[in-house]
Amino acid sequence: MNSLERVIATVNFKAPDRVPVIAQVFGHAAVFSGVPLDTYLQDGEILARCQLQALDKYGYDAVFTVVDVNIETEALGSIIDYRKNQYAVIKKYALSDDYDIDQLSVPDCKKAGRMPEILKALSILKKALNDEVLIVGCVLGPLTLTTQLLGMEKALYLAIDEPERFEKLLDFSCKVLIQFGLAQISAGAHVPIVFDPSASPAVVPYQFFREFEAPRLKKIFQSFKTNGAIANWLHIAGPSDKILPYYSDIGVDIANFDYCVNAQVAMSTLPHTCLDGNIKPLAFVENNENDIMSASEQLLNMFSKRGGFILSSGCEIPPESKPQNIAAMVKSTRFN
Amino acid sequence: MSGNLIGDNMHQQKINALITYLLEGNNQQAVASAKELHNEGITKEQIITQSLEETMIQLGAKCTVEQFNLLEIMLAGRAVMAVMKCLYPDGTFPEKTKETVVVAALEGDVHDLGKNILKMVLMAKGYRVVDCGKDCPIQRLVDTAKEQSPFVIGISGLISSIIPLVKKVRGALNSQGLDHIKVMAGGAALKQSLKEQLNVDYIAESAFDGVHYIEKMRLINE
Repeated sequence: MNSLERVIATVNFKAPDRVPVIAQVFGHAAVFSGVPLDTYLQDGEILARCQLQALDKYGYDAVFTVVDVNIETEALGSIIDYRKNQYAVIKKYALSDDYDIDQLSVPDCKKAGRMPEILKALSILKKALNDEVLIVGCVLGPLTLTTQLLGMEKALYLAIDEPERFEKLLDFSCKVLIQFGLAQISAGAHVPIVFDPSASPAVVPYQFFREFEAPRLKKIFQSFKTNGAIANWLHIAGPSDKILPYYSDIGVDIANFDYCVNAQVAMSTLPHTCLDGNIKPLAFVENNENDIMSASEQLLNMFSKRGGFILSSGCEIPPESKPQNIAAMVKSTRFN
Repeated sequence: MSGNLIGDNMHQQKINALITYLLEGNNQQAVASAKELHNEGITKEQIITQSLEETMIQLGAKCTVEQFNLLEIMLAGRAVMAVMKCLYPDGTFPEKTKETVVVAALEGDVHDLGKNILKMVLMAKGYRVVDCGKDCPIQRLVDTAKEQSPFVIGISGLISSIIPLVKKVRGALNSQGLDHIKVMAGGAALKQSLKEQLNVDYIAESAFDGVHYIEKMRLINE
């Protein structure tokens, strides 16, 4: 089996030749290749090259075009601060207090901000890997994009003070994300992963997720599937236990679970959904190979009978992680 | 005598109502209720100690690590701040406060929601909070600590790349003779680590856990 076949078999609860391992290597690919992180974030060609070099070194089963959480908001007018060797941050949010929702328009993915660079990276990866390795694009979840357009506090207060206006903004975000996701599929992504950190129960109550976010995620995933995504992958970090029960209805095929979620709970809540996780991300920086190997083996044993499991970290593997720790996680799947 | 008793009872009911508005995050009703109490002769200090502080105690009891609800805290915090602004419109908060706490998100980290929540809870509990803001260089943090004499510094961190900076805070404080100041860390990235690794005195699981630690340290200092 090649990597893509291995992942597809696992998502469908069929027996793969071995458990797939997907290291959530984003900025670490730049560090590994000796490229300044800020350059990596802005240049699709460099991004693709670094991802291919990291893939070649570690031998895991997927590559990513995830850079930071500001792609969509930048395309919509947020001003971004690029700092040497750091992730980009928002200097000025796209929407001011008196924004007019009716004046907002969905950006052209071929022109707006760094969107074309992401599409370029996907095309290069597709050309290099074809259908051998899973190519993962990325869009934000609608709530996360909304918080990135207004600022977290303003967006959440808006949800309470003016729910109708807030929902309109969520719907607009949804349109942006669907268009960007479909452009990524056309450019070569097998899956646009949906990153939705603001929808974590660490931020909003699960009822909020159920009412505001779940229906919109469902719409996004339906659109991706209809247009060629091989699976729907949802990534919500933090203590997601209370929102996991909604994942099946949303149409999630791969559910990321963070280190603070009990694997048994995730398994019993989502018996028919492929899970990926959940080694503590900071362990790749602070711990050693033996620790990572041991955590990996523990997870592989827990999921050995069930299947439907991709070995991974709970969230992004920090850029400054020790390469030998990532290698140890990958190696553990070769022994089982 | 009986009139006083009835009056006190009425005020207690109004204070209870204010606490409910604050817990619900109903800032407009909370402000109206606080104004009414103040007009009826309840002092600003009484409103703070009997309603604002009590709100934070009740919210803290609800928000265990397992049931942490950031949105609920934000809404209650916003209502508390609205009442504080109503009581002290010129921004000069009561002089008689508890000790000083300095809060910051270090250079490279622009996520300040966690820090803001901690600040709101501490202020509502009567602490004097000096906010170094987000993206704060260590030198500014140390200078602020020298000027403001806090007994605890709270550092919030959402991203792992600030860990090397967090590790340096203790040394930077000690080099200025500020060994007595406790350093507390919290936030998604920092709470994955150990206090020994970060070279801090405590790692808070949540804003309220951090407040409990600060309260504990205050009692030890007394």
